[in-house]
Amino acid sequence: MKTTKTVTSMTTVKRRTFALGGVAAASSLLLAACGGGRTAEDTGGGDSGAGGGFDADATVGVSLPWLGTQNWAEAQDLFTAQLKEAGFTALVQAADNKVPQQQQQIEAMVQQGAKAIVVGPIDGTQLGSALKAAKDAGVRIIGYDRLIENTDAVDAVVQFGSIRTGELQGQSLLDGLAERKGEGPYNIELFGGGPADPNAPNFFTGAMSVLQPKIDDGTVVVVSGQVDFQQAATQDWDNGKAQSRMDSILAANYSDKQIDGVLSPNDGIARAIITSCTAAGQDVPVVDGLDAETESITSIWKGDQYSTVHKPTKDLVAKTIEIISAYQKGEEPPAADETENNGTIDVPIYALDPVVVTKENAKEVFADDPDRLALLDG
Amino acid sequence: MNAVKQVFGTDFRQFTMVFALVALLLGFHLASGGKMLTPGNMQNLIAGNAYVLILAIGMVMVIVIGHIDLSVGSVAGFVGMCVALSARDLHFPWWAALLAGLVIGALIGCWHGFWLAKIGIPGFITTLAGMMLFRGGVIWISGSVSVPVPPELNVLGAGYLPEWGPAWTYLNNSTLLLGILAIALYAWSQISTYRRRVADGESGLNFTAVIIRVVLVGAVLAYVTFLFGSGRPGTSFPVPGLILVALVIIYHVITQRTTFGRHIYAVGGNKQAAALSGVSVNRVYFLVMMNMSFLAALAGILFVARATSAGPSDGNMWELDAIAAVFIGGAAVSGGIGTVTATMIGGLVMATLNSGLFLMGVGQDKTQVIKGLVLLAAVAFDVYNKQQGRPSISGRLFGDRTKSESTTEPVQIAPTTPGATGQ
Repeated sequence: MKTTKTVTSMTTVKRRTFALGGVAAASSLLLAACGGGRTAEDTGGGDSGAGGGFDADATVGVSLPWLGTQNWAEAQDLFTAQLKEAGFTALVQAADNKVPQQQQQIEAMVQQGAKAIVVGPIDGTQLGSALKAAKDAGVRIIGYDRLIENTDAVDAVVQFGSIRTGELQGQSLLDGLAERKGEGPYNIELFGGGPADPNAPNFFTGAMSVLQPKIDDGTVVVVSGQVDFQQAATQDWDNGKAQSRMDSILAANYSDKQIDGVLSPNDGIARAIITSCTAAGQDVPVVDGLDAETESITSIWKGDQYSTVHKPTKDLVAKTIEIISAYQKGEEPPAADETENNGTIDVPIYALDPVVVTKENAKEVFADDPDRLALLDG
Repeated sequence: MNAVKQVFGTDFRQFTMVFALVALLLGFHLASGGKMLTPGNMQNLIAGNAYVLILAIGMVMVIVIGHIDLSVGSVAGFVGMCVALSARDLHFPWWAALLAGLVIGALIGCWHGFWLAKIGIPGFITTLAGMMLFRGGVIWISGSVSVPVPPELNVLGAGYLPEWGPAWTYLNNSTLLLGILAIALYAWSQISTYRRRVADGESGLNFTAVIIRVVLVGAVLAYVTFLFGSGRPGTSFPVPGLILVALVIIYHVITQRTTFGRHIYAVGGNKQAAALSGVSVNRVYFLVMMNMSFLAALAGILFVARATSAGPSDGNMWELDAIAAVFIGGAAVSGGIGTVTATMIGGLVMATLNSGLFLMGVGQDKTQVIKGLVLLAAVAFDVYNKQQGRPSISGRLFGDRTKSESTTEPVQIAPTTPGATGQ
């Protein structure tokens, strides 16, 4: 059916090809020509650098990776409420765990005139161009919960110390083993988080710094022998993938053994591990966690999951807004706790200290958190 | 007769999608308080979606031959990672890494083409296998860790054309020159086509209509030039957009004006008839699949260049974005129908929806719902149009105007002309 119009159009082929050549030649000339043209002064684009300050009711963008875990959903609510309270216009969005969407989201925030953007990156290395565009437009950029790597377009990062978090997880696992499983040696397995998240290897490193000496002296035994982060990692923090991995480890190694403990990088994976062990007819092992999710607190209260590491989202959000307010007034932000090289520059890091929660101290930790406290009745 | 009808349908549909696109742009512009049609936002829209649109160019050809390629996202991710790793670990210079990536893409395409054309495994299965194969591959070779790409590549994914010449234009002069070139080329091609037809003794041609068409399209191009050229100094029509436009022109010519292009449609329309007329079906299959993976490689490279690093989950679900663009652009699931330019319009409709909903601050949940409904509506509209024994919407609205237009008018690169041709 396409052949009907070719009679007239075949002769245009040569002309079109010729025209194409012309375009190509012209554009190569263009690329060769440099200098002159517009300069930044012409239209005054890209106002304010450091120390400029901005309007008290300015737009502040918050780009979160997704809302699939409770801590991110909480962050969304807290940012929306507290930015409003602080007088800013809040623009809080989440990107469904897709990097291109987060890039476009950040660019859209710049278009909407955001003066500061808080970024909880999906992949801390993949936002370079979007953040550069934001920086060029004079926007202040704060990394939230995860390091932003490979770019100079980041002013500060607010996070819980991730190595420290891992140490707490590892220590809690050992404490739990001693408390629940009597004398060693203990059979354990190791799980890591999503490898694209720069925190995940840090959690694992922190935990291994506590566990490795015990592995070396034979107190704990990793029966499957999978002790590298790459082997233990859980792609995309996907609970389902963790559960499948646990299923196959149990089937392959524990037909005649009892599993005593599992290192888990977060609460969702902890629950997947417990489900898998129960399904395989094992006793509930000692499992740590992270994020103090509702279901896990219930599970801890019931005596299944042993512990979780609580990173109060409230504190993290409050610290972030404190820094934004300092930027807004044009003041120096509070002093950073440390700096970390992100591959391009040394980024000021505001590191908060997380809290281990077990059945014993749960009521104490959540004393001023009515939602979670309500889970601890009965 | 049916085929002719289908051509009218596609053509008409292409115009309706252009109207839909313009309506969306204007609607979002008003609803967002003037934030949609700004230089910065349009630059972002093009640069941020170039990779999907490039995938869609290849995908429409695959769908026209009656197959589908599910592997493009994985292939794009795999090639992006190969480029990053070859530069970091094998110390390739950036251009060698880039070339290596394109070669790997073409080789992967040969692999798919081999299984489809030589062994006869359906494209769906071949590429489903490829999707798993290369997704596993990218995780394997990267060790699940993101790898930075050479900074020189950044210009491909997020670069702008240089500023030069006089500042009094208040525009990026590179963009201005390209715009002027585009308008001149369009006017020249329209007028010379008209002259040739007159010389061929064709009757019933209307020179006024040609002029009006040139003026209208010229005005649109001038506006686009202004829009992209008047951004922050240092910005212009984005480099990935330029690559995209070049590809669209090249593939438009290949599919609409060459023997190979006619073979693609012939094979997709009726494989047996095409084979009996002497078209090598297997050769067409092989080349189209190879081309798809080559374009996927290019898309993957543009993406990692923009992201500044290659990640293990790059390319996840991109195949579905590309496929959606193709079907919104009016391609038929059964093959044989679909054009590169209409697919670009389909892809831009999706991109505009994405961008507009971001600007309005609509959440991802609702964005997905809206995009799903738009896809369904676009295809339903198409199916309704084509149902037999019922006057089509195009017939009702345009009467015989559509007919005269479609017979005199080959598919346009910038199909914004129904008003002009209706004169």
